Amino acid sequence: MSAGFGQLKALIIKEFKEAFRDKRALMVAFSMSLLAPVMIMVMSKTMIKEMVDKPTVYAEISGGEFAPKLMKEFRDENIVPLSEASENDQRIWQKRGIKITIPDTYGSDMVEGRVINITLSADYSDKPSLSPVRRIKDVVRDHARAIGYKRIIMRGIDVRIMKPLNIVEQDRSQPSSNAMMISIMLGLYLLMGAFMSGLSIAIDSSAGERERNVLEMLLCQPVSTLKIVLAKLTCSASISVLSIVLMLTVTSVSIGFVDLTKIGATFNIDAFTFSALLILLVPICILAAALQLFFSFQAKSFKEAQSTVTMLIMLPAFIPIALTFIDDRPAWLDWAPVAGQSIIMEDLFKGLPVNWAALAVTSLVTIVMSAALVLTLAKKLKSEKVVMALS
Amino acid sequence: MWKSLIALGMLASSASAMAQTHQLKIDDCHIDGIKEQIKCGTLTVPENYNKPDAVKIDVNFTVLPAIDNSSNKVPLMFLAGGPGQAATELSAMLRRNYYEIRKTRDIVLVDQRGTGKSNPLLCDNEAFKATNVYTMSSSDYNIDEIHSCLAEFKQDLSQYNSENAIRDFDAVREALGHQQINIYGGSYGTRAALVYMRLFPQNLKSVVLDSVGPIEVPIGPFGQSAARSFSLLIENCHKDAECKKAFPNLEQEYQQVFERLVKSPIEIAIPHPRLGTEVKFLIDAEKFVSTLRLQLYSMGQRTLVPLVINQAYKGNFMPFAGLVAMNDEEQAKGSLYFGLTLNIVCNEDFPLVDENAWLADADNSFGRNISHRAWRLACPVWPKYRPDAEFYQSVTADIPTLILSGNLDPVTPPANGDKSDATLPNSKHIVVKNAAHIVANTDCGVGVVAQFLDSLDVSSLDEECLAEIPDESFMTSLNGNM
Repeated sequence: MSAGFGQLKALIIKEFKEAFRDKRALMVAFSMSLLAPVMIMVMSKTMIKEMVDKPTVYAEISGGEFAPKLMKEFRDENIVPLSEASENDQRIWQKRGIKITIPDTYGSDMVEGRVINITLSADYSDKPSLSPVRRIKDVVRDHARAIGYKRIIMRGIDVRIMKPLNIVEQDRSQPSSNAMMISIMLGLYLLMGAFMSGLSIAIDSSAGERERNVLEMLLCQPVSTLKIVLAKLTCSASISVLSIVLMLTVTSVSIGFVDLTKIGATFNIDAFTFSALLILLVPICILAAALQLFFSFQAKSFKEAQSTVTMLIMLPAFIPIALTFIDDRPAWLDWAPVAGQSIIMEDLFKGLPVNWAALAVTSLVTIVMSAALVLTLAKKLKSEKVVMALS
Repeated sequence: MWKSLIALGMLASSASAMAQTHQLKIDDCHIDGIKEQIKCGTLTVPENYNKPDAVKIDVNFTVLPAIDNSSNKVPLMFLAGGPGQAATELSAMLRRNYYEIRKTRDIVLVDQRGTGKSNPLLCDNEAFKATNVYTMSSSDYNIDEIHSCLAEFKQDLSQYNSENAIRDFDAVREALGHQQINIYGGSYGTRAALVYMRLFPQNLKSVVLDSVGPIEVPIGPFGQSAARSFSLLIENCHKDAECKKAFPNLEQEYQQVFERLVKSPIEIAIPHPRLGTEVKFLIDAEKFVSTLRLQLYSMGQRTLVPLVINQAYKGNFMPFAGLVAMNDEEQAKGSLYFGLTLNIVCNEDFPLVDENAWLADADNSFGRNISHRAWRLACPVWPKYRPDAEFYQSVTADIPTLILSGNLDPVTPPANGDKSDATLPNSKHIVVKNAAHIVANTDCGVGVVAQFLDSLDVSSLDEECLAEIPDESFMTSLNGNM
């Protein structure tokens, strides 16, 4: 028994040595965990900017002098005449050409209570024009509504009769305000990280070793094929786990640079979430490594292994996205690998209590599937067909 | 001997642990106007703090959780106005307005005892409900209604005072586990805040006093400050070319309407503003003045005042009916619980105002003595309690204090803020030219408060945006103007 364990240990050390020898492959393995947090940070920053910032809009306003109060409202919302733009801005906005026309009869029509047409002319298919157009419309609508209410009060009418129904909304979700978009992105990246990070190592230690004729040598030794597979699995899965830990840590740090409170949200990965995510993802890492090894060994060449296994990593990205389209999820999804983890991860980010039973079952199913793959592979490796890629 | 002592000690400690678990109840809840769940709770406190084992009352409170509380900043407790406003009823409004503060701090709102859901002093009596804002006249009020209202109260009124309210607030602070807290007081809330500063200075991290009602200035005689605010409105109207052109004789028009109504109230038939059916609309001087005075509190409502006066002068009281319609709501959210208002003002302020002071206050050209009537009618018959002499001492606590005043304020003019600024050692008074009652109700005002809570340094505030608030403008025709 102890000799057996010693063999396994030696094999694992051998796999790690090989993995760490190829620094570039290792960099590729960890690139995901370093890039994902940066992506999340950049994307949330852009999103917040779009949601909150009111960058100056320059519009060609003609007839502004007829409507000083409306002009003040525009200015309060950072919508100003094109003539006030700097030379550089002027060129950009001139091209965009948003025009607001206020009729010279504005004053008299207002006093007489006639409808005043404010003309807004813009290229509605031009994406950068859309937000300015919306903001201009909002200002005009709000200003008009305020005047309308005052007119009604001044006629001795209770303004509240204008609002016969009022909807009182009650959101029963947990008052955790973790930014949903970040949760979704992080969840996806974590699953992909679990699947992708061990990829190059799995391929290299299977199809790669075969092409280098190392595998033959290894199989000639008096060690069981199971131990060989387990050693490769351990190495590949460990790299994935390491990559996930790195991703979570870097994300926690990088998200601190984003002021999420601007959009009324926060994002925290506390010790509990951190450990729960890890418990959740370790089986996935094992399953991913098992799948990758299995398919790499099946492939005829290193190149074929690469293409087959690359298709495999679509799985973690595809499943959570598909889940979002399924409103009434069948119960078996809770314990199916990847889907189960994805659902629990969603709850975790929403601040809902973790369904430990589901977590246990889905982990078990995942591990059992991995074990089945490992055993099959160990058996297959005994056949010359697989070793020589003759199948 | 020892044995009994030890046994007793254990008993005491287990009893207090029991009391602790029974005292505070807190849960997720929904409150009208807020979509998300917030925290609601009650804390059981003694009605009389000198008799902790006698009658208990539940103090109701809400907590608006910080959006991001990862930095564990000291929360802000909001002390409402009145006296008699229920703070939790303002939850939705504050959640909206205090966004900048809420980003990183919990906001704690406690219903002062006698308001909201903290054992409210509310009369079921018709006269205390605004059911009949159109037909009622001021002479309808009489002393019997006060008596019958008083008969409804089961509470020990002497315990519904400012000091006990503060003891409740501080108990909530402690129960929520905050060693210190920031407080913001608006209007009467500043009076409460000052009492808090005197009673529990060590528990306060910082204080914001917005539109100050200091201990030195009794609540009640508001004649002079309302007149000052009104004359500033006329002045501002005449600074604005369009308003001046539309209403060149605004002051005279107001005086003429006022005198006509003093001579005899007007009664006209109008379509009921809400129902559309015909209703008798009675306009007397008191209704006219008190409704206009109410508009002077907010910058938005002030825009309507010149037009309403001008139309009334021309005999058109429909615009005025529109203003009255805004008060046609039975105990609207955030309105006063009058029982508590009278209980505090009649005992803590009214006795300080002597006849000469009333006369001096009535010597004004806006409402004369009209705002005095209710106090002078109700207070003499209201049950009496007397605060200690200490209650009337100027507050001198050394706590970072930001004082805000709106120059156009009809109840708490900037002079009030100066009084507190003079006695407080670590304070700064900012007077905002174009603000009325309450400064921290705009993004800019709230931003300054948020800044102060973060820095606690009154000298380094960036308050530029407050000075940039534009001059008031007015509605000059029934359809508005350009």
